[in-house]
Order: sequence, then structure tokens, then C-alpha cells
Amino acid sequence: MTCHALRRQILLLSSALLLFACGGSGGQHVAADSPAATAEVRYAKGFTIVDHAGYKEVKIASHAAGSRDTLEYLLLPAGAAVPGGHPGARVIRVPVKSMVVTGSPQIAEAAFAGVAGRIVGVGSGQYVFDSLVREGLRTGRVRQVEAEDDLNNELLISLRPDVVITMTNPDAGGSRYRTLLQAGIPVLPDADWLETTPLGKAEWVKLIGALTGREDIVNPKFDSIAAAYQRLASIGRSAPQRPSVILEMPFKGTWYLPAGGSFMAAFLRDAGADYHWAGTKGEGSLALEFEAVAPEALKADYWLDIGAVDSKKEILARDPRFAAFHAFRTGALFNYNRRVNDAGSNDYWESGVVNPQLVLGDLIRILHPGLLPPDTLVYYKQLK
Amino acid sequence: MKERPIKRLRLGGLLLLLVLAFLLDLSTGSVHIPLKGIAGALFSRSAANPAWHFIIAGIRLPKACTAILAGCGLSVGGLQMQTLFRNPLADPSILGITAGASLGVAAVMLAGGSVAALYAIGAMGMSGSWLIIGAACIGAGAVMLLVLALARRLQDNVMMLILGIMIGSLTLALISIWQYFSNPEEVKDFLLWTFGSLGGVTGGQLTILAAVVLAGLAIAFLSSKMLDALLLGENYARSMGLSVGTARSVIICSTSLLAGGITAFCGPIGFVGIAVPHIARFLFNTASHRRLIPACCLIGATLLLLCDALAQLPGTQSALPINIITSLVGAPLVVALLLRQTTIHAW
Repeated sequence: MTCHALRRQILLLSSALLLFACGGSGGQHVAADSPAATAEVRYAKGFTIVDHAGYKEVKIASHAAGSRDTLEYLLLPAGAAVPGGHPGARVIRVPVKSMVVTGSPQIAEAAFAGVAGRIVGVGSGQYVFDSLVREGLRTGRVRQVEAEDDLNNELLISLRPDVVITMTNPDAGGSRYRTLLQAGIPVLPDADWLETTPLGKAEWVKLIGALTGREDIVNPKFDSIAAAYQRLASIGRSAPQRPSVILEMPFKGTWYLPAGGSFMAAFLRDAGADYHWAGTKGEGSLALEFEAVAPEALKADYWLDIGAVDSKKEILARDPRFAAFHAFRTGALFNYNRRVNDAGSNDYWESGVVNPQLVLGDLIRILHPGLLPPDTLVYYKQLK
Repeated sequence: MKERPIKRLRLGGLLLLLVLAFLLDLSTGSVHIPLKGIAGALFSRSAANPAWHFIIAGIRLPKACTAILAGCGLSVGGLQMQTLFRNPLADPSILGITAGASLGVAAVMLAGGSVAALYAIGAMGMSGSWLIIGAACIGAGAVMLLVLALARRLQDNVMMLILGIMIGSLTLALISIWQYFSNPEEVKDFLLWTFGSLGGVTGGQLTILAAVVLAGLAIAFLSSKMLDALLLGENYARSMGLSVGTARSVIICSTSLLAGGITAFCGPIGFVGIAVPHIARFLFNTASHRRLIPACCLIGATLLLLCDALAQLPGTQSALPINIITSLVGAPLVVALLLRQTTIHAW
């Protein structure tokens, strides 16, 4: 959660870049597009796909407050002529056979579409969970293209991927990618992390599906996930009890908590949790004083998403005062680190993004024992 | 002789101010707690409202105690440095010890590439906040030993001052390299640490901080004669039979304990160390360290308590980091003092 504020700053900065980059080409808002577009993408607010005869038109929106700019891409079959009427649109030849992705969710999206093998480069190899990509990193088939938050342009250009999918803000027109664009490598921003609902975030798999020509697999798979999620959410939201929860932990007196409009607050709402800050404004996080959270933390039934800790002992090592929390005393401590590999990569941040129904299932099983058929948790585990 | 009672009066007034500031700090926060609730939480074991009891006894009281300890320690450390270097701009961070502590913390927080070293420390039974504190102490201690070793080879205090600044710059450069090679999330955590905080010190940590600060203050008080002599110049001090080298080592040790310990627990807190000695000299118009040291303690503790109370943003549940407040309050204070007198001294 701590990186939210940072990302919001990047967002503001890049929206300014967008104004410059898009000019008159993409002046309209994605939501105001044709009805066909809204039928294709139902939950995500950040992109639309319009199916034209013979090619697809992808628009990626900037969420920055008041911004109405979009980036426009044409997904053209190899060899097809560029259609007119799309000034400023960037062309990506599909189906994409090789791609570079810079973030964990994009690895999961590719694996979801069954095309993880087409990944030839990843941002930082350090946090990869997917076994196929990890194996590729080991053998050298997959390269690490991000050196200390900076793209290794020379390596990227030598890899000649069909597309580079970045986890940055929709600022592909910005200076950061100028070298790549000049070299003729299309750069596509995957802004799934800007989405404010779990299904919206997961729906970005459709973009990978369209790029790789796997819509026939991806779209029905996503639909079944969305249906499963909605089914679980209706169970969670109508749960007879609403246990109170707190999240995260304070650092040096300040407690960062997800705001009411955030992605995590949406999860908690659907899981039937009583989250004290559910009514707050904003999509990022709130910086609260320890004592402002303490009255809730002391009596909360559950303590979730605690942070980089793996046991009660480690929680107390952070701050002995946590022993006074009700959830600590009852042992209702659940962290999202069940699937962490020996390198320290956490699959919650990878496949968890495209499996919101599994995360929600975990949350409902934790918060409402007995409401769902018993099963082991997937991403969460109880800290002892 | 007429001045004595006035100065006593001022000392008494400062003590009263300190008590008031302490109570003010205890009663400000994002949760409104009436005075009765505060008294109840302080003086009875089982309060009627457990949340209030937790907030007062578990959050605000340790924070106020930390403010008092840090205020005393940083002010006296600043006074010692201004005297040693006869420079009105000196503060406890001038020797690079604060930077050393920061380097230790950077090593822990930004150790993306050297996790093995971290596991080794973890195996020694250190984790969580103790790990950060331990690393800061090691960093501060290493710089202190370096400064002490070099101090023996240098005759002149001006050279000593330059040496301290250079060590500080070098250390900060090392931190910058580390930051450059770290993830944005890690850098942000480190950045939060550099904002300073009085709120993270509890339980056993508070006891250790108190022991370290009291030891540093005791050494400072015992060496007040040396400090008085140094004010008159090193040659004069030598003529009085003072070993300048020994005096320097003792003073560096005391300041290192104070600055290193406080930075380890609270992060860097600026301006208190520069501003408070000037306020003390202005109020008491004396050069005697026997009087200046207690005065610095009272003023420093009061100032930091007030800053902590001010940090609370009215009407919100957030507070500004303490380092921002001390700079916002400290800089105008020094300017105001400057405008009231024509010259500013370190003595």
C-alpha cells in the first residue's frame, strides 16, 4: 500500500505528458465510446477494445482527475494495411509472438492466456513467481530488462519483442519510451493497478488476449471467473454477520490504510467485512496516526494483510503494543503470504491479480467460517 | 549577585513550561480525550475506557517521554558541538554521526542486494524495529570510532569540523548509491524514516533510549569545566592544564551517544540542536556550561513537546512528521534571536 502515493504522483505527472503526447488524436473519453466497446470490457475503466472489421482498436485511458485523454492502438494482423481515420494511433502487429512485460500482474495475465512462453523479457526477475518464466530466466530464454528502475533499452531493442507491456501509467508517449518507439517497438501501458475493483483489475487479461489472439480462451475464462466472483460477493455481502477488520500495521507512528474507494476496500465490501474506513473518499491510502486507528485496532475481530511478517513473534518484534489488539489475542491474524517461493516472490501479487474469486473466497472463508464449503485457503494463511 | 535570583526564576519558569508542554502534548491527538480520561489512564491500572487507556499509556505517554529525552539530548549535543568548534552553526549531526546512523538504517531498509548480511543479523536474534535500531547504532558507532581515531591525529578544531562534514558527505553519498539501486517502495520506507518520528519508541526501547541519553548527559555535565575552558581558546585551555585531546574525545563520545542513540530510535530530527543552545544563551546570558546544560535540557524538551503537539493537524486524523515541524519552528526562532542581537556567538 505504501507505493500508492508514489504511483499517484507518477499518475499526475504522466497525465501532463499525455496532454502533450496525444494532441488532438485521442481527445475523447473511453467511457463515451460506442456501445460495442462497453459490451466487450465490463468492469475495467482503464481500457476499451473495439472490434472493427479486420482489426481491433484499443484505447487506454488516463484516470487522472479531470483528464479525458486516451492512448489509441490499432491491433493489425501482420501485413494488413493501416486503416485510415485513426491519426496518432500506434500500430501493433498481432498476434504477438514475443513480448516483454515489466510487472508481476502482466506475467500472471500471460499465464492466464496460456502464453507465458511468449515472454522474452521481464522487468525485474527478482519477484517472478511463475515457474515457466523463472525457468526461462534461469536458462537465459527470458531476460531481465529493467536495471534499477530504468529500462535497459539496448537489451530491449536487441530482443526485438513484438510489444513491450509496461506497468507504468498510460504515458507511453512520454520520454521514457522514446528510444524504444524510435526503434519501432510498440510500448503498451497496462494500468491494471489503477483499477478500483478486483474484477476491473483482472479484466486486463482481455488486453493480453486480444494482443496474442487468444480471446477465444481468455474471454470465456474471464467470464466464468467474473461469475464466480459475483456469486461469492453476493454470499459475502449478505452474510449474517459483519466482522470488523483492520489492515496493515503502523510504521513509526503512521498507519497507512486503504481509502474507501480503493481496490482493497472493494474486496472487503464484497467479503462482508465491517471496515471502519469504508466510507472515506479517495482511491489510494490514508495516512493516519496510530492513535486514530487504535480504538478500532484494539477491538477489531480480524487483522488482515498485516505486511512483511510471518508469525506472531515477528509482529511483536515490530511493536510490542500490538499484543493488546483483540485479533492478536484471539489469533485472528491472516496474511496474504501462503504462496511465497524460496526466492521471496509472493504469488498474491502475481496470479492473485487474475484470480480475484480465489482471493475473495479466502476472505469469506476467513471472515465467515461455515458460510462456504470448507477448503484450504489459497493465498492467505493464519499467523501463529 | 542580583542576577542570580532572576536566573533561578527563569529556570523555575522553564520547569513550569516543561510541565505544561508535557500535559499539552498528552492531551493533543486525533482522538479527543477529556482531561478526566487522561488522568484516569495515567493513574489507574484499569481504565473505564480501554481505548483511551491504550492511547494515553501506550501511545501518547511513550511519545512524550521520547520527546523529552530527544529534546534534552539533541540540545546538549548541539551545545557541546558549538562549544567544541566555537561555531554557532554546529549541531549534533556535524560530526557525521547522524549520517552514520542513517547509513546503518539504509543498509537494513534498502538491502535489496545484500540480503545474506541481513539473515546473519536476524540469526543473532534481532528483528523488526530492533534490527533498524541496532543497525543505526552500529553505523553511528563506526563513524564515531573513525572520527575519534582521526581526531587524535588532528591538532586543530577547525580541521576537525571540516573532517566531520566530509565524513558526513561521504556517508550520505553511500546512502544515495544504495537508494539509487533500490525499489521505489523501499526508498519510500527509508524516506519516511528520515522524516523523524517520536512515535515508534515503546517499552524496552524507551528504557534503552533513556539509559543512553542519561549517560550522554552525565558525561556532558561532568565535562562542563572542560567545555568552559575550551570556550576561551585551545591555547588558554592548555595553559590551564587541560589536555585538549582528551577533552575532545570525551565531548565527541558524549555527543555521539546522544546523537547516535536518538537518531537510531527516532530518525534524524533537525534544528533542535542548533536553535536551543542559542535560546539558552539568550535567556541566561551566561557561558557557564554548568548552567547552560540544564537550561538546554529544559528548553529542548519543552520545544520538542510543543513541536509534537503542533504536528497534529487540526481537524484531521493525520500528523506531520516531527522533522518538518522542528525545522518550521526552529528556523524562525533562530532568525528572531538574530534580529534581537547584533552578533551571534557560540559562547
